[in-house]
Amino acid sequence: MPINRLFVANRGEIALRIVRAAQALNIETVVAVSDADRDSAAARVADRSIVLGPAAAAKSYLDPRLIVHAARESGCDGLHPGYGFLSERAILPRLCAQHGIAFVGPEPDVIDALGDKLRARAMAGAAGVPLVPGSECVASAADARREGDRIGYPVLLKASAGGGGRGMVIAHNGDEAEAGFHKASAEAVAAFGDGTLFMERFVPEARHVEVQLMGDGRGNVLHFGERDCSVQRRYQKLIEEAPCAAMPDHLRRQLHESAVALAASVHYRNAGTAEFLFDVQRQEFYFIEVNARIQVEHPVSEAITGFDLVQEQIRIAGGAGLSVSQQDVEISGHAIECRINAEDAARDFLPSPGRITRWEPPQGQGIRLDSHMSAGAMIPPFYDSMVGKLIVHGRDRADAIARLADAIDNFVVEGVPTTLPLHRAIIAHPDFIENRIHTRWLEQTLLPGYGKKAA
Amino acid sequence: MTGHDFPDALKQLLDEFSRSGIRELHIRKPDFELYLSTDASAARPQAATPVAAPASVPIAQPAAPSRPIVAPPAPISSLPDDAVIIKAPNLGTFYRAPKPGAANYVEVGSTVQAGDELCLIEVMKLFTAVRAGASGTVHAVLVEDGAMVEGGQPLFALVRD
Repeated sequence: MPINRLFVANRGEIALRIVRAAQALNIETVVAVSDADRDSAAARVADRSIVLGPAAAAKSYLDPRLIVHAARESGCDGLHPGYGFLSERAILPRLCAQHGIAFVGPEPDVIDALGDKLRARAMAGAAGVPLVPGSECVASAADARREGDRIGYPVLLKASAGGGGRGMVIAHNGDEAEAGFHKASAEAVAAFGDGTLFMERFVPEARHVEVQLMGDGRGNVLHFGERDCSVQRRYQKLIEEAPCAAMPDHLRRQLHESAVALAASVHYRNAGTAEFLFDVQRQEFYFIEVNARIQVEHPVSEAITGFDLVQEQIRIAGGAGLSVSQQDVEISGHAIECRINAEDAARDFLPSPGRITRWEPPQGQGIRLDSHMSAGAMIPPFYDSMVGKLIVHGRDRADAIARLADAIDNFVVEGVPTTLPLHRAIIAHPDFIENRIHTRWLEQTLLPGYGKKAA
Repeated sequence: MTGHDFPDALKQLLDEFSRSGIRELHIRKPDFELYLSTDASAARPQAATPVAAPASVPIAQPAAPSRPIVAPPAPISSLPDDAVIIKAPNLGTFYRAPKPGAANYVEVGSTVQAGDELCLIEVMKLFTAVRAGASGTVHAVLVEDGAMVEGGQPLFALVRD
């Protein structure tokens, strides 16, 4: 049954994005807010807002029972989790199901399976998706040395329950593999309560590419092209592009086929992203993980396909099939997104909450801004520092870079420091313009000099 | 406001002040003076000799009339002259323990070495460990666990060994 009233269990720009998508489908919206977000843009634009609780996320956006209770009491028959917070916690769709609320996302069992990296890796292998050469569970330091010798150094020791770079250690030889085993295992226990480790070949200069997927839950899965998210700092993406201009067409086709095969093998429902490492030297790609939610960077895929992914998410959650077929999905031009974070690059990217005093975004052909900010808006200190996403769409990559440079130059933000000046520096760098970057390029090449110039 | 009921009355006044949205409040009586401001950079009134306005806290602390200005401010109890004040590096939430349910890093009376972690300040998911600037004994914890603090706000008072 189509959703009549949608509960938005998130905040910031994605809450606003979901409200607007629902409105375009003539669906009522109820936005959940914490005390700190009562006056947020999403709350103002929605039909109704409900205060979940205090500002602390643990007592508002991260409390699944509270959220589903609020959704039910406000008469909602659908719930969109956005990204982050509870979006990949299976308890949320399970509670929704108990209360007859359609969850805008995958089945809880699929979320659980994909959230465990070893299980996800096994599923990918079974679907014929290329895996980075690696190991099963590593039980001891001696195991780590033996597996490292077999895989070939450098290798990466990773926590099975991990994420965000925690519990990850690089080893260049057998001794480091043994020492790394103890360190990574201890870190994993501390961070996740689970010290299970596995090992992978480490690709020193890899690109991060990912495929946007949409499934109907009955085995039909479409892709909306790939994105290249290789500009990262501490495993956090800063700039995302679509398509991946560095990938030849024959590999691109294999990449899309692999991602679709994996999602189809689990009858994936709703939006998801399959992430891969692209080893440019070897011209190989390897599966990393599946993110079972809409992602921050989905707008670049929307820009090159002209397709609204969030609206499609809501339709599918309401029981509809896929609204297009694969041959209707045409890729056109090149899109780049930069994440605007309220952070102070001069103070090692210290998050900088506060009040926006001027907010004058650029306008024009091919420019899109997804943001919940405006002049006078308050950035509370309780949540993440992203204040918006600037997306440009051009004829090709060079055109998109030129448009983005113009757009940033015409973007006036005052009141808090943002990462916009850093984005401007990145896209002006010859390595970025000539597309010679990799996931550690920003930290290794650009940032060391950038800090000095800023000081 | 006699000496006896003073803390409760003051606490009530501070609560009312923080809730009210009033930016500045100045009370002056023969034996008492209080200046409250939400503006960290506000100039203190000239006559407010016994009043210590913290660097960036909207709470002014009355002190005994005979004592000179104490900066940074002592909390309820007075601080020794050689106390080392540990301040918040930036705005954020003050956590005394490394994770929920874990033991606090330090308690009043704990002995610490220079460089030991005393607390965490979390802002927008970024946790910064605050370390002891000197070896000594924790004399006072100046902020409640879980409270929002401003950059520069005093967190701990240490007494050197």
